[in-house]
Amino acid sequence: MRRRTVLSSLAATPIVAAGCSTGDGVDTGDTGQGGGEGGGEFVAAISAQPDQFDPHKTTAYASFQVLENVYDTLVVPGAEDQVMQPSLATDWTTSEDGLTWTFTLRDDVTFHDGSTFDADDVVFSYDRIIDQQLSNAYRFATVTDVRAQDPRTVVITVSEPTPALLAQIGGFKGMAILPSGVDEASLTTQAVGTGPFRLESTSASEVSLSRFDDYWGEASTLDGMTFRFLTEPAAAMTALTSGQVQWTDNVPTQDVSDLAEDDQVELGQVASVDYWYLAMNHAKAPFDNRDVRRAIATAVDRSAVTEAARFDAARPNQTAIPEDSYWHHDYAPFSTDVDEAKRLLEGAGVTTPITMGLMVTSEYPETVTAAQVLASQLEPLGVQVEIQTEDFATWLDRQGRGDFDAFMLGWLGNIDPFDYYDGQHRTGGSNNFHGYSSPVTDDLLNRAAVATDREERKDLYDQAAEQIVDDVSYLYLYNPDVVQAWTPGLTGYTIRPDKAVNFEEVELPS
Amino acid sequence: MSAAQDPVAVPARRISVRPARGRFTTALKLLLTSPPTLFATLVVAGVVVLALFDELIAPTGYNEVDVQQRLLPPGQGHWFGTDDLGRDVLSRVVLGAAVSLQVGAVAVGFSLLVGVTAGLLAGYYGRWLDTVLMRLMDVLFAFPAILLAIAVIAILGPGTTNAMIAIGITYTPVFARVTRAAVLGVKESVFVRASRSVGVSDARMLLRHVLPNAAPPIIVQTSVSLAFAVLAEAALSFVGLGTQPPAPSWGRMLSEGRSYLEDAWWMAVFPGLAIVLLVLAFNLLGDGLRDVLDPQQRSALEAARAKPRRRRRAGVGA
Repeated sequence: MRRRTVLSSLAATPIVAAGCSTGDGVDTGDTGQGGGEGGGEFVAAISAQPDQFDPHKTTAYASFQVLENVYDTLVVPGAEDQVMQPSLATDWTTSEDGLTWTFTLRDDVTFHDGSTFDADDVVFSYDRIIDQQLSNAYRFATVTDVRAQDPRTVVITVSEPTPALLAQIGGFKGMAILPSGVDEASLTTQAVGTGPFRLESTSASEVSLSRFDDYWGEASTLDGMTFRFLTEPAAAMTALTSGQVQWTDNVPTQDVSDLAEDDQVELGQVASVDYWYLAMNHAKAPFDNRDVRRAIATAVDRSAVTEAARFDAARPNQTAIPEDSYWHHDYAPFSTDVDEAKRLLEGAGVTTPITMGLMVTSEYPETVTAAQVLASQLEPLGVQVEIQTEDFATWLDRQGRGDFDAFMLGWLGNIDPFDYYDGQHRTGGSNNFHGYSSPVTDDLLNRAAVATDREERKDLYDQAAEQIVDDVSYLYLYNPDVVQAWTPGLTGYTIRPDKAVNFEEVELPS
Repeated sequence: MSAAQDPVAVPARRISVRPARGRFTTALKLLLTSPPTLFATLVVAGVVVLALFDELIAPTGYNEVDVQQRLLPPGQGHWFGTDDLGRDVLSRVVLGAAVSLQVGAVAVGFSLLVGVTAGLLAGYYGRWLDTVLMRLMDVLFAFPAILLAIAVIAILGPGTTNAMIAIGITYTPVFARVTRAAVLGVKESVFVRASRSVGVSDARMLLRHVLPNAAPPIIVQTSVSLAFAVLAEAALSFVGLGTQPPAPSWGRMLSEGRSYLEDAWWMAVFPGLAIVLLVLAFNLLGDGLRDVLDPQQRSALEAARAKPRRRRRAGVGA
């Protein structure tokens, strides 16, 4: 199985410069190199080195941080609401039966190698993902044909109505458009995109990009930019305050509230599209009993778990979709009440103490932290939580075999409600490892997946979410925040819920 | 620190006319006259008392989470401060003593039992049994200790019990080697040959005559191995393979405190000190035991004790 690693995307449509309300604009002095000519050099500190630069093959967040600024997709999520906006496609229509999507493409786009962008490039890129069964091939599950009607028009045929198609082809740069006939082997180390920057050089410590002057959008005011790898959060913060870098996402969570007060840095914080949850095995007694699961959901104090795991950089949520999303549904039926939880447990006819093995992984240390808080919260209920820390490979293997009482993990980079709910909660769904099965939920999910009207879709997903929460298919815990910090006075940067980092419109403080 | 240790060099007594008696009481007296050994004995005794009465001594339980009280510095109410989940660090250090000692005792007990048996049989019977047993031990010895323990845990799965087994297996060959070397010496001594000539059975020979006289190096090795076992448990827990959260383990506390070193030094420093103290104590105890149980060293010690006080005071002051 493939856990969706962190995904990213780029808004090529003009972004309203937000998130940069710079109080008094404290000058940190020297802002690094460049200085003199044009807009100067911009350095961003990221926490890891990209594994490779082939957008269709990599799953590493570090790679997408770079590729976000190099490649484009047909459509992109809006910076704040994550609603799909035009990018390489200017507009699109869906046939009456919902089975044919027609995209009209821009005619002024040039690749970094000088070739002109047309419909063949789209067909080539999508066929590459589908034919070679690359990691994102599942996003084209319902797609039966991708065809170039003329150089400016691409037609995608699907086997059943797929309202989530735009999110699937534009959610992140893993669906980037490559020039047809590109030397595929070279893509690992080089990039031929249509984005605002071109990949210049890479080394063990940094990646350099230069401005692409023939960019179809408004060209950047920067001459170029550099991604520097700083693994230690403390080192990244020092580099930021001393002016060696102008932006970083490697912010220590325990320092977030202090940094918000610090006028040497500008702190950006926004709810992400990720969620973290606990799942109990519906095939195993006593967790097959809905009341037992509801008792546990009632005994858990989500805000304490959230604060322990993420300090001030997360928000508790009883459903999956964060507040800022259009698809958010305000539904919170559980309030922490141990006595009520005990009554539920008694009513279920279960004799305490129950032992619950809780599988976590050191790959994501917040699961280990949260598990200890959960253990202390469930103890008064008579549920003995036995924490099992596994390496991620073993963890995934046990999850796949259904060999667990309960586990905790997160789903990252979700955009469409289909991503949030469908595979996890449909009977026999590809990610339904905990064995949830409800005819009511299945029916709602099936109808929502093919509903083309946005209001109607939202209503169906809201109902499905309520059913899922009520049945405690997942015990939702929190949505973490995206936390990034930059030099005060930096403009044109928007912190985004999907963690895409787009420096296209960034301007250095003068 | 080198993970694979050499058997402690204690010359086996080459010739002994009869098994010594009452030797250990004199040894004990000698032991307690040396300041480092006395210190070590007190520390070990202190930790044992702590482990026995931990629930009475510890101010709170080991997993009393209170997120509002997180990362409090040492002070009133929390002498060692609180950790990232608001748990009392003092309580967790106290409750962690039992885990460390238990792992040490059970793991070393395991290697002692298996290793000494193997070494005894190999050394006494020799021939093919010696070859088979000792080559088997050599295979285990060929792996770096922690690596072998990690491999064992990869098979058994993480947890305190499995950590004990893993550490026990790792240190078995050390005991086998030490025992075999000592037995080879004792086997040839006059009293053993004499006993054999009057028809003493093999079992009685091994348990009554050979083992007691081969004991000194084994005792020293036990003390040193206890130190290594405590350290190994801390190391395994540090990488997440030993004691599972939320149970208190010094190694795990160290690992959790690592990311808060700048904000909350007390999270890592106190469990770290506890490890240092206990490991140091076991090592000093091992050194002291070696001095006392080694006949040559011992005569020197006894001679020193017989000397006038003036000399001894000068020696201590130096």
